[in-house]
Amino acid sequence: MATAALEHDANAGHGEHQHYTSTGLEHRKIAIWALIGSECMLFASLISTYLIYKGRSRVGPWPHDWGCKTSNVIGKTAEAVQAAGCAAADVMKPILDIPVTSQSTFVLLMSSLAMVLALEGVENAGKPGYDKWYKGSKFWLAMTAIMGATFLGYQSYEFTSFVHEGLTIRTNLFGSSFFTLTGFHGTHVAVGVLWLMTMLFIDMKRGLKGATDVLLVDICALYWHFVDVVWIAIFTLIYLIQ
Amino acid sequence: MTRSPHRRLGPALLLVAGIALALAACSTQSYPNSSFTSNSDLNIDINALWDRVLIMGTAVFIFVEGLLIYVIVRYRAKPNAPMPKQIHGSHTLEIVWTLIPVLILIPIAIPTVKTIFKTQAPAVADALQVEVYGHQWWWEFRYPAYGVVTANELYLPAGKTVNFTLQTRDVLHSFWTPGLAGKRDLISNKVNHLWYTPDKTLTEGAFNGFCTEYCGSSHANMRFRVFTVSPENFEKWAAHMKTPAAGSPAALAAQAAADSAAKKAPKAAAMVPTPAPAPAMDAGYVFPVEKMGAHTIPRTPYPAGLTFDDNLLGQGDAARGRALLTNPANMGKAACLTCHVITGEQAYVNDDVARGPNLTHVASRHTFAGGLFPLDAAHLAHWIKNAEKMKPGTPMTVFGIGQYSPLMKANVTVGLTDAEIADVVAYLLTLK
Amino acid sequence: MATTAAPAPAYAGSHAAGGEQTGLWSWLATVDHKRIGTLYLWTALFFFCVGGIEAFIMRLQLMQPNGQVVSAEVFNQLFTMHGTTMIFLVVMPLSAAFFNFLIPLQIGARDVAFPRLNAFSYWVYLFGGLFMTLPILFNSAPNGGWFGYAPLTTMQFSGGLNIDFWVLGLQILGVSSLAAAFNFITTIINMRAPGMSLMRMPIFTWMSFVVQFLLVLAFPAITIALFFLQFDRFFGTQFYEIAAGADPLLWQHLFWVFGHPEVYILILPAFGLASEILPTFSKKPLFGYNVMVYSGIMIGFLGFGVWAHHMFAVGMGATADTIFSMATMLIGIPTGVKIFNWVATMWGGNLKFTVPMKFAVALVALFTIGGISGVMHSSPPTDLQQTDTYFIVAHFHYVLFGGSIMGIMGGIYFYYPKMVGRYMSETLGNWHFWLFFIGMNMTFFPMHFSGMLGMPRRIYTYDAGQGWDTFNLWSSIGVFIQGLGLVIFVYNFLKSRKSGAVAPNDAWGAGTLEWSIPSPPPEYNFAQLPVVTSRYPLWDLKHPEMTADLTHSAPDQMVITDSHAVPVHEETERKTAHELGIPMPFPTIKPLFAALFMVLMVGALVLVHAISMQVAVAVMITCAALFIGTIYGWLTSPLE
Repeated sequence: MATAALEHDANAGHGEHQHYTSTGLEHRKIAIWALIGSECMLFASLISTYLIYKGRSRVGPWPHDWGCKTSNVIGKTAEAVQAAGCAAADVMKPILDIPVTSQSTFVLLMSSLAMVLALEGVENAGKPGYDKWYKGSKFWLAMTAIMGATFLGYQSYEFTSFVHEGLTIRTNLFGSSFFTLTGFHGTHVAVGVLWLMTMLFIDMKRGLKGATDVLLVDICALYWHFVDVVWIAIFTLIYLIQ
Repeated sequence: MTRSPHRRLGPALLLVAGIALALAACSTQSYPNSSFTSNSDLNIDINALWDRVLIMGTAVFIFVEGLLIYVIVRYRAKPNAPMPKQIHGSHTLEIVWTLIPVLILIPIAIPTVKTIFKTQAPAVADALQVEVYGHQWWWEFRYPAYGVVTANELYLPAGKTVNFTLQTRDVLHSFWTPGLAGKRDLISNKVNHLWYTPDKTLTEGAFNGFCTEYCGSSHANMRFRVFTVSPENFEKWAAHMKTPAAGSPAALAAQAAADSAAKKAPKAAAMVPTPAPAPAMDAGYVFPVEKMGAHTIPRTPYPAGLTFDDNLLGQGDAARGRALLTNPANMGKAACLTCHVITGEQAYVNDDVARGPNLTHVASRHTFAGGLFPLDAAHLAHWIKNAEKMKPGTPMTVFGIGQYSPLMKANVTVGLTDAEIADVVAYLLTLK
Repeated sequence: MATTAAPAPAYAGSHAAGGEQTGLWSWLATVDHKRIGTLYLWTALFFFCVGGIEAFIMRLQLMQPNGQVVSAEVFNQLFTMHGTTMIFLVVMPLSAAFFNFLIPLQIGARDVAFPRLNAFSYWVYLFGGLFMTLPILFNSAPNGGWFGYAPLTTMQFSGGLNIDFWVLGLQILGVSSLAAAFNFITTIINMRAPGMSLMRMPIFTWMSFVVQFLLVLAFPAITIALFFLQFDRFFGTQFYEIAAGADPLLWQHLFWVFGHPEVYILILPAFGLASEILPTFSKKPLFGYNVMVYSGIMIGFLGFGVWAHHMFAVGMGATADTIFSMATMLIGIPTGVKIFNWVATMWGGNLKFTVPMKFAVALVALFTIGGISGVMHSSPPTDLQQTDTYFIVAHFHYVLFGGSIMGIMGGIYFYYPKMVGRYMSETLGNWHFWLFFIGMNMTFFPMHFSGMLGMPRRIYTYDAGQGWDTFNLWSSIGVFIQGLGLVIFVYNFLKSRKSGAVAPNDAWGAGTLEWSIPSPPPEYNFAQLPVVTSRYPLWDLKHPEMTADLTHSAPDQMVITDSHAVPVHEETERKTAHELGIPMPFPTIKPLFAALFMVLMVGALVLVHAISMQVAVAVMITCAALFIGTIYGWLTSPLE
C-alpha cells in the first residue's frame, strides 16, 4: 500500500482527469464489487426462501411432480397420479421444463463469452487486427445484448406457459417464490441488456476506446458475468436438483 | 475548568442512593408475577442457571465498573502533570483479557447446554396433555383426554407433569406464566411444546399469564390465569366441565335420565356412585375466589362513556335470556352462537373454528375477555353492550342498540336493549 | 483551552468563508460531504426529538396502572415508530453524519468517492423518514412493532395503510443506506492519503469501514423480506399466507439475519467515536490498536452467525438453540476485549473530564451493563423468562442508549468545534450529561426488575397490583429527566453556533488528521494532501515523543512539514478551492430531485390501498419517468 502511495505525487489531486487513489483502481470498479457482494446476499435470500418453501405448497402445480387439481395427490408420472384416483382431466403436469430452460441457460452462458470478447474489443480498439467487424466491440456488445434479450424471451415464454398450466405468482408458495426469484433475476438481466445497449449506443456514436471506456465496459462486464453466475446457481438449485 | 472531584462524584452517588432507595421501597411490596420462583421443575432449572449467570454477571459488573471508577479517580489530570507514558498495547495483557471472558463463559455455557437438552426433551408419556390455542386476544385451553374446552383459565393438577401443545388460530402469540415457566411462542403452521411439573404443594396456587408476542391492538389485554389445584379437585373440575350446559336440552335429558334411574333403583344408586355425567347444576369444583390473591383479580376500569343501569340487572330473566341466544328467530339481533359454542344447545359453528370462547360453563370462570374483567353481572352487561369500548380491536360484536360499532362504522340499529342484555347476562350466569 | 483561543477569525461559526456559497440553495444543491454530514446531523436530531416525544407519551401512559393517556391504537403506533425512528431515523443517520463529516477528513481526502450519490443518500433518507413519520399525524402510522412479525403485518390482520407506510418506508431507507455504504467502502479503500495504510487508519474510520460491510451484506436480507411482504400486500403472493402453508419463521429468519448485524451497525460507530475521544483526553494513544481493529472485525463477522438468538422462544429445537447460544456467547469475547482496552487506554493517562470524555466513559460503563445482560439471555433457558419482557427493553436500551447514543453525543461535543468552529458550552454540556446519565439509569435500570417480575413488553396498559407500579413510576420519571437533558442539549447545540468559544484547528489536542485543518474546514479540506507516516500524524508533528515507538514510514521517503499536516489557518490566507486550483464537484440539485422522484415512485404504491391500482400505477409511471430523466441528466453532467 505504502509503495503504491509513493508512486503518486501528494498533489496528484491537482491533476486534470485521474484523481489519486490508494489502490490505483478507479472508484467505480471498487463500488461495483461492493454492489456485487450485496447482490450475492440478495439472491442468497431469494434462493434460500425458494428452498425453504420447496415442498410446503398445499396445492399444485408442483415443480417436478405430477399433481391433481382436485386432490393433493402427487406422483412421478401421470399414470401414478391417475392410479391414485385423479381424473385424467384434472391431472397437472410438472411445471419446470428442463430442456427448454437448458437452451436459455446455454444462451446466457454464451453471452458471457461474447461479453469477454466485447471487453477485449474495447481494450484493443484501434490496434491492428481489431478493425475487423468480428473482432470489434460493437459486434460483441450487440451479440451480448441480443443473447441477453433472447434469454428474456425464453423467460417470458416460460412464464406465459406456466400461467397457462395454472401456476401464477398467487397460486401457491412454489409460484410465489419461483416467480419472485426468477423475476428478480430477469429484472437484473433486463437492466444488463439496457446497460449493454447504452454502451453500444456510445460505441456507435463516438467509439469506445481508452482507459476510461475500458473501465465503463469492464464494470458492465463484471455485472453481466455476475448475473450469469447467479443464473447458474438458480438453474442448478431450482431446475436440476429435484 | 477543573472542578473538585467531589462535586462530580455527587450525582453518581445520588444515582446509586436513588436506586438503592427504589429497591428498598419496592421490597415492601410483593411481586406476584416474579419469575424467580421454585414453583415448577422448569423454573427451578431456569433459576439454577440464572443464579450462575447472575453471579458471573455481578462479578464482571463490579470488576469492570470498579476498575473504571478507580481509573477515573486515580488518573484524573493533575495540574502541571508531565506527559503520561505512551503505551501502545501489551500482547500479554491482551491475551489475558481475551481469556478472561472465555473463562467466565465456560461455566455458563456447559450448564446452559445441559439445561437446553433436559428441558427440551419430550415430556413423560403419562403427562397431562393440554392444547393451547392463541386467538386475538384470548386463550383457548383444551384437555383432549377429558373432552374439556375452556378459555382464559387453566386448571393444572399440582405435582403432575403437564405437556402443552401450543398452536395459534391467527397471528403469533407467546404463552407465558412467569411464576411457573419460561415462555414458548405460538407459531402459525407449527406445533410447539412446553412441559413442566407444578410443585405438588401448590394445591391452591393462582398465577397470572400473559401473551408476550405482540399480536395487535389488544396484545396487552391477552392475559390468562393458571390455577394449580389438588389432583382430586382437578378431576372434579374436569368432570363437571365436560357436562352439557345448564338448562340445555342435553342437560335436561341427562337430568331426566338420572332422575328416572334414581326412581327405578334408589338403593343401587345410593350404593354405587353413578359414572354418568354429574348433574348439570352441580358446579363440581371451582377455584375458590378467596384464594385467588389480589393480583389475579382484574381491576380494569370501565371505559369512559359506557354506562349500564345496575337496576336492570336485578330484573334479568334467565329463561328470556336463553331464548334470545338459542331461538333461531333472534339470530338477527343476538347472533352469539355464530361465534360461541354452548355445548348441549344447538350449534351454529364448529368449536374448532369458533371465533369466541366456549361458553358452556362460562359462569364457573372468574374472569373473561382475555382476563381483562372479573366475571360478574355488571361487567358482562357492559361487555355485551359495547365490547369494542371495553377492549380495543376485539372482534366481539357490539350488541347495544344505539352503540357505535367500529366494524360496521355505524351505530347499531338491530341489537339488544339494556333490558334484553340483562336477560342474557342472567342466563349466562346460570352456566356454572 | 477554549478561553485562551485567539480572536474569532471571520469565518468561524459559519460556512461562509472563502467565497463559499450560503443560503438555502447552497444547502439543497450541496455535494460537499461536510455539509451533507451537517444535514444528516440536523435531520437526525430532529427525528431524535420526535422519537423522544414518542417515548415521553408512552411513559406518561405507563406511569401508572390502567393509564388513560392514549388509546391502544395510538400506543401501538407510538412504540412501533419509537423503535423504527430511533434505529433507522436517528442512530443510523447520526452515524452517517459522522461518516460523512469525518471519514474524508480522517483519511486525508477532499470528498467522498461519489459526492452526488452521497447527496442522493441524504435526500432519500430525509424523504423516506418523513414518509414514514408524517402518517402519525393522521393516526395511520406503522403499528406492527419495529420487527413487524408476519402474519400480523399481512393484509388479513393489518388492513389499513399503517403497515404499507412501514414496508415502503423501510425499502426507501434501505436504498439510502446501501448507496451510502457503497460510497464509503469505495472512499475508505481508495481515497486514503499517501502513507495511510489500512492499519494506520483512525479507529473511527476502521469501525465505520466494518459497518459499511455489515450494511452491504445485511440489508439485502431485509430488503427481500420486505419485498415478500410488499408483494403479499399489493399483488397477492403467498409468502406469509398461513392458509397457503407459509412459515412465519421465514420472516423472522430473514429479518434477524439483517437485524442482528444491524445492532452492530448501530453500536460500532459509537465505539469508534469513543476510541477517538478516550485517547485524546487521556493524552495516550489507543491501547492495542490492532486488537481493537480485529475485535471490531470479529464482532461484525460473528454478528452474522447469531441472528436466531432473537428466536429462542419459537421452538427451533435443542440443537439449533445450542449452536446459536454458543455463537452468541463468543461475541462476548471481542466485546470484552474492547472494554478492557478502553480501560487500559485510560490507565496511567492524564484524564481530562471534558463533556465528550464524560460521554465516552459513560459509554464504557453503560455498555458493560448491556453486555452483561446480553450474556444473561444468550443462555436459552434463562432467555425464556426474559425475552419479550421489559428485561429485554432494559438490555437493548443499555446497548443502544448507553452505548450508541452516549457515544454519539460524546462525538457531537467532540467534533462540534471542528464542524462549527466554536465549542459547545461546557456548563450546559455537563447539565446535559448528568441529566442523561441519571435519567437513563433511572429509566432503564428498573426495567430489568419489571421484566423479570413479569411485565411483558409492548403492552399499552397493565393492571394494578402486579408489583410493577413502582418500577414504572421510576422509569417514567427517568424519561422526564432525560427529556430535560435533551432540551438543554438542543439549546446548547443551537446557541453555541453563535456564542460558543472560538475553537482553534486542534480543538482538544488530538492526534488525527482532521484536527490539522481549520475549523470549520474549507470546502477542499486539505490545501495539500497530507502524507501520513503513522497512526497519529498530528502527534508526530506536535509531540513526536507520543508516537516515537510506533512504526513510521522511512523518514527519508516521507517528510512531514507544516505545510502538509497543518495548513495555515489565518483568515487572510484562507483561499478558495478555485484560487488554489483544486477541482471541486459542482453543486447540483439533481440528487435531490432524483431522491424525491424515487421516494414518490415507491411511496405511490400506498395509493393501491388508499385509492386504486390505476391511480397508483399512473403516479408511479410518472415518477419513474421523472426519476429516470433526472438520473440521465445527472449521469451526463460533468462532476467537476
